[in-house]
Amino acid sequence: MKVKIWGARGSVPAPGPTMNRYGGNTSCVQVTFRDESQLILDAGTGIRALGLELAGAPRVAILLTHLHLDHIQGLMFFHPCFRPECEITIWGPSSPEASLEDRIARYISAPLSPVEVRELPCSVAFNDAPASEWRIGDVTVRAEAVTHRGPTLGYRITDGETTLAYIPDHEPALGSSLDDLADEWISGYDLARDVDLLIHDCQYTDAEYPAHVGWGHSALGDALKFADRVGAKRALLFHHDPLHTDEKLDAMAAEAAERWRAMGRDPETIALAREGDEIEVNAPGPAVHRAREGRSTFGTTAAPQVSTRG
Amino acid sequence: MEGAQRPLELILARNFLTSVTTPAVLVDGEGTLLFYNEAAAALLGRSFEEAGQMRADEWIRAFAPVDEEGEPLELDGINLAGALKSDRPAHSEIRIRTASDGYRALEAAALPIVAAQGKASGAIIMFWTRTDNGET
Repeated sequence: MKVKIWGARGSVPAPGPTMNRYGGNTSCVQVTFRDESQLILDAGTGIRALGLELAGAPRVAILLTHLHLDHIQGLMFFHPCFRPECEITIWGPSSPEASLEDRIARYISAPLSPVEVRELPCSVAFNDAPASEWRIGDVTVRAEAVTHRGPTLGYRITDGETTLAYIPDHEPALGSSLDDLADEWISGYDLARDVDLLIHDCQYTDAEYPAHVGWGHSALGDALKFADRVGAKRALLFHHDPLHTDEKLDAMAAEAAERWRAMGRDPETIALAREGDEIEVNAPGPAVHRAREGRSTFGTTAAPQVSTRG
Repeated sequence: MEGAQRPLELILARNFLTSVTTPAVLVDGEGTLLFYNEAAAALLGRSFEEAGQMRADEWIRAFAPVDEEGEPLELDGINLAGALKSDRPAHSEIRIRTASDGYRALEAAALPIVAAQGKASGAIIMFWTRTDNGET
């Protein structure tokens, strides 16, 4: 399984010279499986550039965690949407209020958009994520509701023996300290249990979190505790606050590694996601390709590998 | 994969109960008592950590609810059970045995918790102590 980060920012795009290393695009992750099939996780602004790489793809599958703008904003600029021969399937959270298509159409419609969903040249299908596991090709997908504002899913994706959990917007410590909760009372626990790679919300520092309780996101300390509690073999911290510069995120990465070590974990198995990261995930643990930086996302000792984008 | 985690709506309900000072308990779809808050602990005379989760027959035996005439109630005899069986809210006047001072007259309201798939996964039951003149 290969994972590529096309957008790791939360809330709103945050471009600028102080954001270049971690990137300013919002949530979008490309996952490529053993049989070369692919899934796209979320359609934040990062999906725009990904769409240019998928120029010839006949089919595209997208899993949306929820419909906040930072997770769907790139959809209207996703090149495959404008190719008549392309079939796009989108899964997302159900709602008793309106269908997935109707809810997405509130964004892809006037006055916010010059085109309507029904005008997209591609063939597009909208599906509520099933309540039980389902298969997309040879891959097993499981969706579960997680603690965030509004209907929000996390995903667990299994390809052979390799598992990935993607929970980009998540506040599992809302209302109770994770230290005080049994496993059965922790949101997202089953999704993330024993995964080879966990991609998880880490929007705030611990100092910032008290002013944002209930906003649906995690502080660094809670993200680390959650990753440890579920037994994630590696964790990639994600959904960076738009106010956090590269310098700030470097400091958070160093703090994360130190605290992870203090929890008895290998500091090379924790990292902050950067736009352009390519991660090979295998059951024993992933290796990371980051050509531009010349060092691994997970620690600094792995030899750099070939990367198609920096 | 073996499931260990409660449904999100029950997790959030438990979080809610920890944040209010109205005595309240959380039960699952089978009537198992999953949690009660500190205000309920004060009412019942023992903490949840001390009592732990209880099957319906266990908490019925522990708290011994009786009706207005003092007759013992089974789960099916408490119209609060309707919140679980018919997904409807329910209201009752009951008395329960407390660990500290015998029986306590209560008003109870049960709210069913219905998950995204339309299936009831449990209920919140909140309690108000009745005064001697019957007011809460």
